[in-house]
Amino acid sequence: MNRKLMDGIRRRRLWRSLLRTGMTGAAALLIAMGILALSCAATGYDAAGTFRQFFLGPVESPYEIGEVLLECVPLLFTGTAVCIMNRCGQFNMFVEGGFFLGAFVAGVLAPMLPAGMPMIPVLCLLAAALICGALGYIPAKMKASLGVDEFVSSLMLNYIVFWVVMYLLHEVFGDPDTVNKTRYLEDYMKLPFLDESIRLSGNLLIAVGACLLGGLFLFRTKWGYTIRMTGDNPRFAGYSGLRSGQAVVYSQIIGAMTAGFGGAAFLLGSYYRFEWTALPNYGFDGFVVAIIAGNNPFYVPFAALFLSYLRVGALQTARMGSVPNELIYVIQAVMIILFGAKTFGDMLKRRGGKKV
Amino acid sequence: MRNITMRYANGVLANDHVNFSLEEGEIHAIAGENGAGKSTVMKILCGAQSPTSGEIRFCGEPVQISSPKAAAALGIGMVYQHFMLVNEFPVYQNIFLGAELCDKRGVLDKKRMIQKTRELSEKYDMAVDPEALCGALPVGVAQKVEILKALARGSRLLILDEPTAVLTPQETEQLFAQLRKMRGDKCSIVIITHKLKEITALCDRVTIMRQGKDMGTYRVSDVTEEDISRLMVGSDVSLTLDKPAARPGEVLVRVKDLTVPGAGGKNRVDHVSFQARQGEILCLAGVEGNGQQQVVECLTAISKRYSGEIQVMGRDIRQARTWDVRAMGVSHIPEDRMAMGTDQDASILENLIAVCAEKESRLGLVPYAALARRGERQMQAYAVKGSLRDSISSLSGGNMQKVVIARELEGDPAVVVADQPTRGVDVGAIAFIHRQLVRIRDQGSAVILVSADMAEVFNLADRILVFHEGEIAAEITDVKRATEEQLGRYMLGVERSEVSAIEP
Repeated sequence: MNRKLMDGIRRRRLWRSLLRTGMTGAAALLIAMGILALSCAATGYDAAGTFRQFFLGPVESPYEIGEVLLECVPLLFTGTAVCIMNRCGQFNMFVEGGFFLGAFVAGVLAPMLPAGMPMIPVLCLLAAALICGALGYIPAKMKASLGVDEFVSSLMLNYIVFWVVMYLLHEVFGDPDTVNKTRYLEDYMKLPFLDESIRLSGNLLIAVGACLLGGLFLFRTKWGYTIRMTGDNPRFAGYSGLRSGQAVVYSQIIGAMTAGFGGAAFLLGSYYRFEWTALPNYGFDGFVVAIIAGNNPFYVPFAALFLSYLRVGALQTARMGSVPNELIYVIQAVMIILFGAKTFGDMLKRRGGKKV
Repeated sequence: MRNITMRYANGVLANDHVNFSLEEGEIHAIAGENGAGKSTVMKILCGAQSPTSGEIRFCGEPVQISSPKAAAALGIGMVYQHFMLVNEFPVYQNIFLGAELCDKRGVLDKKRMIQKTRELSEKYDMAVDPEALCGALPVGVAQKVEILKALARGSRLLILDEPTAVLTPQETEQLFAQLRKMRGDKCSIVIITHKLKEITALCDRVTIMRQGKDMGTYRVSDVTEEDISRLMVGSDVSLTLDKPAARPGEVLVRVKDLTVPGAGGKNRVDHVSFQARQGEILCLAGVEGNGQQQVVECLTAISKRYSGEIQVMGRDIRQARTWDVRAMGVSHIPEDRMAMGTDQDASILENLIAVCAEKESRLGLVPYAALARRGERQMQAYAVKGSLRDSISSLSGGNMQKVVIARELEGDPAVVVADQPTRGVDVGAIAFIHRQLVRIRDQGSAVILVSADMAEVFNLADRILVFHEGEIAAEITDVKRATEEQLGRYMLGVERSEVSAIEP
């Protein structure tokens, strides 16, 4: 067949899928506007002002843009982590615990290292990734060798990690001057700023880099290939002689490492002390991002930006007092339904129909 | 039923203008191999599936049977091969499931349901205890419950899908007596089967199906078992293939005393020994489900549940995994290209490289560009239309199978295990695939072909092993002198020849 013609068809197909994604996003925004209008009507607030705040507030000033980008960083890491595991058909929730633990490891380790040491942030990032990877091995190996559902065991692992961290924070590693916080980071422990005036940290670059690396890993390496084939059709992967049992394990280890690395980068770049006393939900948000991105790490930056833009908008309208902050969860749910209907159905089918 | 055509969403033509008629008070057999389309016709009749085209008349009236409920309203009931019973419920609750009898206040009327169950079971001579739990019943009795369930809903037309597959000979005899009794009661019964003995022993008429087409309806008294077997597995389209005589060389695969256990103490494969040589197409022929599939799974290291020994090029593969066996040069064309042979969510290229992606990688990177160049050549050589980046699900069945075969024959495999390589493939692609298998044989591979298709067997095989009930029923070394009738008799177990020629 004519090559040019085929290329044309392919390009048209790409456009069509982009168009579909764009329209889904527009539909989500429309529904968000509808909800905004309704809640304005109910509370009697100025609708036009609320709208302006919601949609333009996040891009009004460099500071607001900085806030959107800040909010975006955790989603980039957790979204990529979820993509890698979902592509292998693994529903691993340890992204949540991994992100949490990674931040804790960085917050504890950075002040403990001698001040003159070079590359302290890098060491903290690697340590967080290694520790989370080791913990991620637990549900992965249990799934591969014993058939234990990784969804359940990783949820359990989250709680174990959470309470152990709480204990350590309270009893061992906490800042003696205050309660349930680690010591505030000195400047030399932090990741460098891109633009200090709008709190834009270098961790944003690292996060985007993680998305790109994640995409290259999935679509260019043999491990990524095995992960994708195993996730699509485990029987096919097994029959072809692909080592799908191993893929089940390393996809989850890499996902957990990405999450832990992300937690550490977030803390070292944007948070400066560990003071979470509840799971921060960034891991679960990663699922939302991955679903919007169609489990493709290359699309994760767009999905994460979209979500954080909506979040900052909702937060600002909430601060204005007109619309409750919970609104964002309603919008988020609508987006999951719109974007995720097919992706999610496919994933459930994979889980139910064919066991890895 | 007239001109029934059923085409599934994936393009498989399950029924091709099938005609079927049933009279009141007769027992009618639908005979054919697995995959011939018998079950599909019956699913259409009982409303579980809607035909792509065709007409159904019931008592002379055209009807639309859109759901099992609509079928039940017409008095059509089906007894599936895998029972649909709630194991935790007693017999009477299962029988009235969804059609419970209630008293005036809307409370379940247990007494009346038990009473009715008892009446029914006495009427049709099927002894069951209405209050026994279904999960505790032996299969023979559970089947009676299924039949009673259909009768309790007023079914006058009963379809039984391979009813004897799970029964002992005594239970089978009993079932037949009960079915005859129901016939006397003006019920019509359809039995889906591929067992010749049952057709002659029980049925009045038989409709034979092959490859989605009906081969006609006959009075059982007018035909012999051999006629039926010829119609079931025989072939009228002869795709003759000019192939040079085989020049068998070294033995590459040696199977010794292979036994695969099955359910109920019966072996799926029972002490089978054979060997496959270089430059020879060895055909494992037989009706599907007689152990060939298990042999393939063991040979390709997909299953390890066997005793005995399998040697590939002198090496025992008991400890080998699928990738080890593939590294030894064994390639495998699987029977089910949708579920096993392809990743339907991936592109054609990604499907083409599955068996070499790990091996060809440098520093962990898959060389997609180089593999795509090779892929283009393969697409051209195999005349597959489409672009490498398209999803494989956009291809027709025949082209999809060509992609599988292109992948498996790449790089001169030492042993090719081809399991039903042309099933559900159009005629042009069949001829092409056959030529490819002969080509790979002439290049010095050992080809092990599993086939249930007579034309294919005679076209390709240099030597035939006929499987029946997990054993080798016959070995045919001189394929040119063998006849289809003879092969059919072996395949259906009417006859067997003592196999002596196989030394371990």
